[in-house]
Amino acid sequence: MEQSNFVKLPATSHKLQEVHRQLVICSLKLVAFFCLLACTSKSSETSSPKFQQYFIQGEQLYLQHCSNCHQKNGRGLGLIYPPLDTSDYMQNNVTDVLCLIRNGKSGEVIVNGKNFNQKMPGITTLSDLEIAEIATYIFNSWSHKQGLLEVREVSKILLSCDSLAKKID
Amino acid sequence: MKNNSIQHSAYTLQLRALLSKFVGSCLLFAVSCLLLACAPKKESPLPIYGERDLAGADTVYHTIGDFKFVDQDSATVTNDTYKNKIYVTDFFFTSCRTICPIMKTQMLRLYDSIENDPDVLLLSHTIDPEYDTVALLHDFANRLGVKSSKWHFVTGDKEEIYKIAQTSYFATALEDKSEPDGFIHSGAFLLIDRQKRIRGKYDGTKEEDVNRLLKDIRRLKKENGTI
Repeated sequence: MEQSNFVKLPATSHKLQEVHRQLVICSLKLVAFFCLLACTSKSSETSSPKFQQYFIQGEQLYLQHCSNCHQKNGRGLGLIYPPLDTSDYMQNNVTDVLCLIRNGKSGEVIVNGKNFNQKMPGITTLSDLEIAEIATYIFNSWSHKQGLLEVREVSKILLSCDSLAKKID
Repeated sequence: MKNNSIQHSAYTLQLRALLSKFVGSCLLFAVSCLLLACAPKKESPLPIYGERDLAGADTVYHTIGDFKFVDQDSATVTNDTYKNKIYVTDFFFTSCRTICPIMKTQMLRLYDSIENDPDVLLLSHTIDPEYDTVALLHDFANRLGVKSSKWHFVTGDKEEIYKIAQTSYFATALEDKSEPDGFIHSGAFLLIDRQKRIRGKYDGTKEEDVNRLLKDIRRLKKENGTI
């Protein structure tokens, strides 16, 4: 009885091992597939350390300064705070978006065909780099894929809107 | 041949042992599921907040005082508006950029879940009545896309609003120019029952807390026998 037990057991454990092995192979294939999927959707620019640094820093700043109103998921709130996740306004007015982060905006804004009219205060304490980081985050999150918005470019734009604001004053 | 049959019986014995273990754990699982399902029936009633007095043999609980405000449609809103209703209330102001937008996102979620429930209403008080006029509240409610019969946004005498916040709802609402938006206020949502008693206090900026509020509304309705 005991002996026969010994004979039988390895046979069943072999089967188990085989099943286990196949399961492992299968899940490995799955992981590899997803990795490939993730890698192919990213351009070389967005995987650069500089982009990552801007993006991660930008996310923190977004959560600190913007997400109360525009929400963590970028959906905004009703017709009070406009959405950022999908926004034709953002796509068509990159310069304006950079300027309004610093200087604020009031009056009507049409986003995705809908009218919004809630005054947004400017965040004057943000440096050019911080605005570039926030912009890199929001312009590469949700539906947006604009790539890196470098501080040098952003600074130029911010200078132009600062002078625009002064002219209006 | 004989050896084979011994092997076979040993194998079936093992299988049986495994099977009985499996059935045993299934039973255990089923019993614990049943226990879990039964548990809410025995849950304790929601607490009643505030001081209580004894009047003879009866306990008198803290209730919400009388109020009279104006809502986004210029209609007068008093205790009678909420007579025999369960309601959820908060204090906010439209130009607030700190916690209010999160509170309003959560309140909107609450609104969606009770929109078709005739037993439950919402009440939001502005603590900045000078800026938040009826017209502005009207626009705000419209932009949120909510019905005024369900969710009243009220304004009125500033002192009256602060007084009811502090003495009736135990919520903080104060003007403070040193604060970023000029006011100190709590992000609390308060659950009021049909007898005008406070039955729950929740952090309106936290999704999990608002989930608890949604459950408590159901508990309160059960208590009243409306579901």
